[in-house]
Amino acid sequence: MEGRTPAAGTWSDGTLPANVVLGARTLVTGAGAFRRFMSTGDRALSIGSDCTMDGVQFALGAEARVSIGDYCYFTNVVLLSELELRIGSYVVIGWNTTITDTDFHPIAPAERVRDAVACSPLGKGHPRPPIARRAVIIEDDVWIGPNAAIMKGVRVGAGAFIEPGAILTADVPPLARVAGNPARVVGTVR
Amino acid sequence: MTPDRRIPGDWFDQPVPGNVEIHDEAYVETAFSFLLYRSQLAAGVRIGRGASVYLGTMFDVGRQGRVSCGAFTLVNGARIVCDAEILIEDYVLISWNVVLMDTYRVPADPALRRRAVIAAASGEPRRVDGHVEARPIHIKRAAWIGFDACVLPGVTIGEGAIVGARSVVTEDVEPFTIVVGNPARMVRRIEPGETTP
Ligand SMILES: CC(C)(COP(=O)(O)OP(=O)(O)OC[C@H]1O[C@@H](n2cnc3c(N)ncnc32)[C@H](O)[C@@H]1OP(=O)(O)O)[C@@H](O)C(=O)NCCC(=O)NCCS
Repeated sequence: MEGRTPAAGTWSDGTLPANVVLGARTLVTGAGAFRRFMSTGDRALSIGSDCTMDGVQFALGAEARVSIGDYCYFTNVVLLSELELRIGSYVVIGWNTTITDTDFHPIAPAERVRDAVACSPLGKGHPRPPIARRAVIIEDDVWIGPNAAIMKGVRVGAGAFIEPGAILTADVPPLARVAGNPARVVGTVR
Repeated sequence: MTPDRRIPGDWFDQPVPGNVEIHDEAYVETAFSFLLYRSQLAAGVRIGRGASVYLGTMFDVGRQGRVSCGAFTLVNGARIVCDAEILIEDYVLISWNVVLMDTYRVPADPALRRRAVIAAASGEPRRVDGHVEARPIHIKRAAWIGFDACVLPGVTIGEGAIVGARSVVTEDVEPFTIVVGNPARMVRRIEPGETTP
């Protein structure tokens, strides 16, 4: 409505799932944003105010919870969650970065074979084996470049700077500068 | 598949090519995966029992190429570039945006590569096949290739091995190991356990 500030954020391409909460002036764009959104939890996805989520895919499994603070700016980020992603405020994330709190299959070969059968067209009556899930935490003021990947269980400290293409599998201290595949700390931001 | 080789419910209105063998108990999401397929062999692609091939997977298979996806393999959106042979054994898991390429298709020498791309411009369809030798890829039983990884020509990935997400595999991978990074290096061994389901 003209001349009125909307009370809550908007998704440009459809009706938001009922358990998604957007703060004031937060804008989500992209028809694919919720194509893989399966979470049934209360407030499964909550995003603070003044965020720009441009082409972000919110792929949340049934039990996933994702929270994002204020003034975040993400472009074409893939968020994959089966447990929890906790992202602070003033976080900027670039094109084609993937953040995931699970590997989606077990590491042990024997269990992977069982999982392959369970996931197959003949999987009826074959339950999937347990699969590791570990929450990912990204603190305030983190910058993550395009084509990076943040894997299960990682905590990225406040103000850290993650170079394009870095693959993170371990925690990053605050204000660290990180690069490479596999990623290494290469310096600090100040 | 229907008798005229359509996949029921497919949004892509084309049949599956005649020399593609799909097991009755396999799942292929869409015939679009065969848009770039041009193998002239009797069975250019074989998809085994219980296997699933999801949207995003492209069988970019040249005239003499042959791809086999074993029983219970899961191919979740991979680019399969094949001019010789890509053999994927049973229970292998292949994640999204993985590239398996048994050939570079064009020569490394820029002068020769010019010739290949000039020839492609007048071809119908426009392809750059067959200018360099292809070297088969072999992915053994129950291996797992993580998302966005790339497997280069001539590589064999051992039984049960794991290729980490976004890795580039340039050399053979030992069975029951994890390799990661670009270029991929072994980081640890894993216990085989009982791998018959
Ligand atoms: C390979 C993988 C399964 C290993 O998981 P894990 O056994 O828990 O491994 P860890 O996190 O303990 O890592 C072991 C080492 O490998 C490195 N590493 C792990 N995965 C890596 C990756 N993808 N890229 C670069 N390095 C990686 C870690 O940094 C660590 O190195 P270090 O010993 O020098 O510290 C996992 O990291 C991965 O890549 N998962 C992706 C799965 C996937 O693609 N799923 C999609 C659905 S099919």
